[in-house]
Amino acid sequence: MVKEQPPTLIALAASAAGLDASLSRRGFLLFSACAVSSLAALGLCEAFGASPPVVILDNATGLILADPSRCVGCQRCELACSEFNDNRSQPSLARIKIARALNYGLDGPTGGSRMQGLWGDGLVVQGVCRQCPHPVPCATACPENAIVPDPKTGARMVDAKRCVGCRLCQRACPWGMMTFDEDRQKASKCFLCNGKPKCVEACPAGALRFVPWRDITREGRPTVAPLSVIPAAKAKACADCHTPAAKKGARR
Amino acid sequence: MPATPGGFAGKVLRVDLSTGKFSTQDTFERYGEFLGGTGLGYQVLWEEVPAGAGPFDVANKLVFATGVLAGTSVPCSGRTAITTIFPSCWPKALVGSGHMGGQFAAKLKYAGYDAIIVEGRAERPVWLFIRDGHVELRDASRLWGGGIRRTTLEISQEMGADCCVAAIGQAGEKLAPMATVVNSMSHSAGGVGGVMGAKKLKAIGVQGSGGLRIAGDREHWERLVKFHLSILGANNQHVVPAFPSPESEYYNPGSRWVGEPGKRWGAAQPPVEITGSIHDMSRISYRTNSAAYFLGEQAWKHTVRGNGCTSCPIRCHTTLKVPAMATKYGLNEIAQGTCIALNFGRFFFPALPGGPKGQAALEACMIGMNMADDMGIWSNYGQIQRDFIKLANEGVFQAKLGSAEYASVPWDKWRAGDPAFLLDLIPRIGERRGELGNVLSQGSAGPFDHWGIPESSWEADHATTYWKMGHPKHHANEDDGQCGVIINTQYNRDAQCHSHTNFVRNGLPLHEQKRLAGELWGSPDSVDAPGHYTRMNPYKAQRAKWAIIRKELHDCLGLCNWMGPWVASPLKERGYRGDNSLESRFYSLATGRQLDREMLDLAGERVFTLHRALTIRDMATVDMRGAHDRVPRWVYEDPQGAQPFSQGTIRMDREDIGLAMDMFYEIMRWDKATGAPTRAAYARLNLDAVGKALADKGLAPESGK
Amino acid sequence: MNPGDTARLADAAGAAVRAASGELRLVDCEAVLEALASGGQFGESEPAAREAARALLPGLLAAHPALAALESRTGRTLYYAPDLLSRTYARILDRKGSPLLLMAEEIRLNSRDYPRPVPVELFQAPPFGLASEDIARALAAMAADPEYRDISSATTATGAVYLFSTRHLERGYAVFLAQRAESADMNP
Repeated sequence: MVKEQPPTLIALAASAAGLDASLSRRGFLLFSACAVSSLAALGLCEAFGASPPVVILDNATGLILADPSRCVGCQRCELACSEFNDNRSQPSLARIKIARALNYGLDGPTGGSRMQGLWGDGLVVQGVCRQCPHPVPCATACPENAIVPDPKTGARMVDAKRCVGCRLCQRACPWGMMTFDEDRQKASKCFLCNGKPKCVEACPAGALRFVPWRDITREGRPTVAPLSVIPAAKAKACADCHTPAAKKGARR
Repeated sequence: MPATPGGFAGKVLRVDLSTGKFSTQDTFERYGEFLGGTGLGYQVLWEEVPAGAGPFDVANKLVFATGVLAGTSVPCSGRTAITTIFPSCWPKALVGSGHMGGQFAAKLKYAGYDAIIVEGRAERPVWLFIRDGHVELRDASRLWGGGIRRTTLEISQEMGADCCVAAIGQAGEKLAPMATVVNSMSHSAGGVGGVMGAKKLKAIGVQGSGGLRIAGDREHWERLVKFHLSILGANNQHVVPAFPSPESEYYNPGSRWVGEPGKRWGAAQPPVEITGSIHDMSRISYRTNSAAYFLGEQAWKHTVRGNGCTSCPIRCHTTLKVPAMATKYGLNEIAQGTCIALNFGRFFFPALPGGPKGQAALEACMIGMNMADDMGIWSNYGQIQRDFIKLANEGVFQAKLGSAEYASVPWDKWRAGDPAFLLDLIPRIGERRGELGNVLSQGSAGPFDHWGIPESSWEADHATTYWKMGHPKHHANEDDGQCGVIINTQYNRDAQCHSHTNFVRNGLPLHEQKRLAGELWGSPDSVDAPGHYTRMNPYKAQRAKWAIIRKELHDCLGLCNWMGPWVASPLKERGYRGDNSLESRFYSLATGRQLDREMLDLAGERVFTLHRALTIRDMATVDMRGAHDRVPRWVYEDPQGAQPFSQGTIRMDREDIGLAMDMFYEIMRWDKATGAPTRAAYARLNLDAVGKALADKGLAPESGK
Repeated sequence: MNPGDTARLADAAGAAVRAASGELRLVDCEAVLEALASGGQFGESEPAAREAARALLPGLLAAHPALAALESRTGRTLYYAPDLLSRTYARILDRKGSPLLLMAEEIRLNSRDYPRPVPVELFQAPPFGLASEDIARALAAMAADPEYRDISSATTATGAVYLFSTRHLERGYAVFLAQRAESADMNP
């Protein structure tokens, strides 16, 4: 149950939604269309139980926006990411992804007039983590709760101590944005560099900006075939809220 | 402690195309003394390729070598040198290198290799597949006969979109001396394509998820990278803008820093306006627009963006979109290139409607870039075009070509300056078709050998800018007096050295250049005003040596000598100083081996001296001064009869140049009479064995004087 | 005015000059005074305070560590922030009111300092922004005026016109440099 929040706020919210004062976990989520932002505002992630599976993450506060029309294909962003975060010059570890679309665009070496990239129309579509809102595919897929929000920015980051290298997160990301360090056998992903992203600083063409977060998950098509993998313990937690509509007692 | 110093991938790959076998060697253990790049190439040639081997002989080797700094975030570090017995070197092929940028250097290192030594000859066309240390030779019969674009596409379909392909086109397959190897669309290594073709190697595809360890402290590395970025100018390290700016005391209308706020990449969608501070680190890529520099203001509206090598913020290639290319010529609307590529088609015409910066010039360049970089044709720094104009104007084509062939060429289009002329001419060269195509594809050697035209007539003609041994000048006395002349005598192809010209054309006023020169080379007298040259002095020799050694060093480290060295900067607060020790600071941090500037320069001197040794060995003469370090006649003449050392001429004085060579040999500690390194000179550079081998053939003087 | 007021006046004046420099404007004392007045610097005792400030400003501006001064072509002293405006650019701004001075001075500076002639198109582009008729008129005026006898032109083989000052560049050398500049794009 609710641990820390001022009871008045919850009571207000509940009565505004027509719910009675003592709420179940599920009931709490139902009172607002923007449940998650409200939750974020109320800081309720920790609210539910002793050590529940992490299902819901507060939104991130920042986001890296990439402008393909400015990208000059230098890959300095990838190098900055791996050099300053991994101490290696290794674009395959970079948490911003250029190399894969640099030459032919997202559709690859098809030939024809619609290719992008170096051998097409020149446009370089950068791969940038969207810091997804709930449900966060990588975090949800992780059986170890190893993908957690960064305290400073809310960026979804891999806690390397908890990561067991199962790669479920890699499979789950619709945009293939997870990085896997084969040497360390750990996943990694963009964590916004404590609020000062190295890639943004490194870009010599101003093609990257660090901006207040907004939900861009519906923009730009996924590039990886979706495969929903949710560990059993989590599925149970999901089912707690995601019940059939007929069982929902409260009005929306 | 790891065996391999930081920065290196660690292994050199050997591919024997005759046997299909692969082997590897430890880069640093085997080749560390010669650093990498051209140094590694010269070492292989010295040790393994017999004197007198021809470029297309099985015994010749092709060494693709990048450097320790390639693949890291060091700015301007995307270079690969390809060293071999160089086909267009005339009359006798000698050691030479082509250089290419693009993604190849970095990708090769991520694939696990610092260099590839290609040996032998395949029976049938093959291409080399390299992925994360896994190497295979694959059948290239379906690619053979095709252009570089399709080859790259099809290999990418097999390997994946993130591979990098270095390939030859039809010109290389047919062993044209004027053939290139091309990677990443527009990055071409001159002259070496035919060697690849002779070995029946169509392409190399590299791909990898590997990385490079930086030995030094992470924060220290970050600071040095940022420092390097802060002292960058625009292309060719021009450090002042081309326009008066509130942010700069100086400007130079001739600067390559053309990205003025208010200009825009007009063919981007939507157009990208240049805004903000010209010194902003996130605006570096907007400073340079090679297309606008060479083709005029019109190029801005056709500019999609800048492009270039991995890790370089300068983007000296311009991606252009010109719809007329499709509608008028049936070619791709989009083409890309830098400097000489952007001039490729334009240079063929003595005159174009609208002038050198008009629409016809733009179209000619687009055709040239598109076709040359697909067929893999080299321009020999514009020489193929200058030769063409001279041969046409002097009636040589008409005299020498059979009447049917002559009649088949649309000369009227050439005279009219119609870019469509190139649609006929370029394939002739690329396919080596007919006598015309065959002769032109040999470079200047073509008219000399095939039509018996004396080299001396090229040497006497200012318009050819011919220098020696089948190649033109490359930043000689027209830019930099005696310094430029010395540099241009030293190689077996055009010198490809920009260390000196980047400085004298950087746009700073003469008094600032002289002040910096005093600090760098011992005296303000090491630099003259352009076309107002003073007599030779030891400081100019010092500067010439510095220029050559640094160029060689860049070619060993994977750095770009079109940008470096970085001894001047845009920063008024630094007195416009750059950093003459930048290369050694990066080398030390990356590898973990501390080499200061003098020590790294010494390594560069070792590499350059090995090039000298190879040249002496393969020319089988010790008389470099007489036989090799030649200066063409036109350098000593002025069309208006102006005297040397007067204001307004690039004319040099024979005696003074003799003195220049004396001083250069002296500063190199070579024998003054012959210009050959002495036994002592070799010994000083740890090249004892080289010195002894040459001395045994009477090719190394015992002492200098 | 007490020292505290003087210090505040100096700061405000410095800020006013900086603001102008940021907009690519040079300002004299009167303009600074005007800016301060419209910014409410002098309050209700305006006429007296303003007069006091007028007397102090030249000294304060001259002594301000973050400002620079130049003697305008009009004889006034103009102020700017050198970290926002280079001296070269400030001098160009000063001369913008007179195409003749604008061009002549720039031609002489280039001939003296680099040294080099300048292409006539330079004066059409920003920050000069002169129309070709204005350029032609200015050149004609210079040709007729003994003060500008040194301003000369050289035409290259391709018909490009370059301008130089014979005070600092000999004609032959100017022609050479013009030719060289025009052919730079053929010497990559």
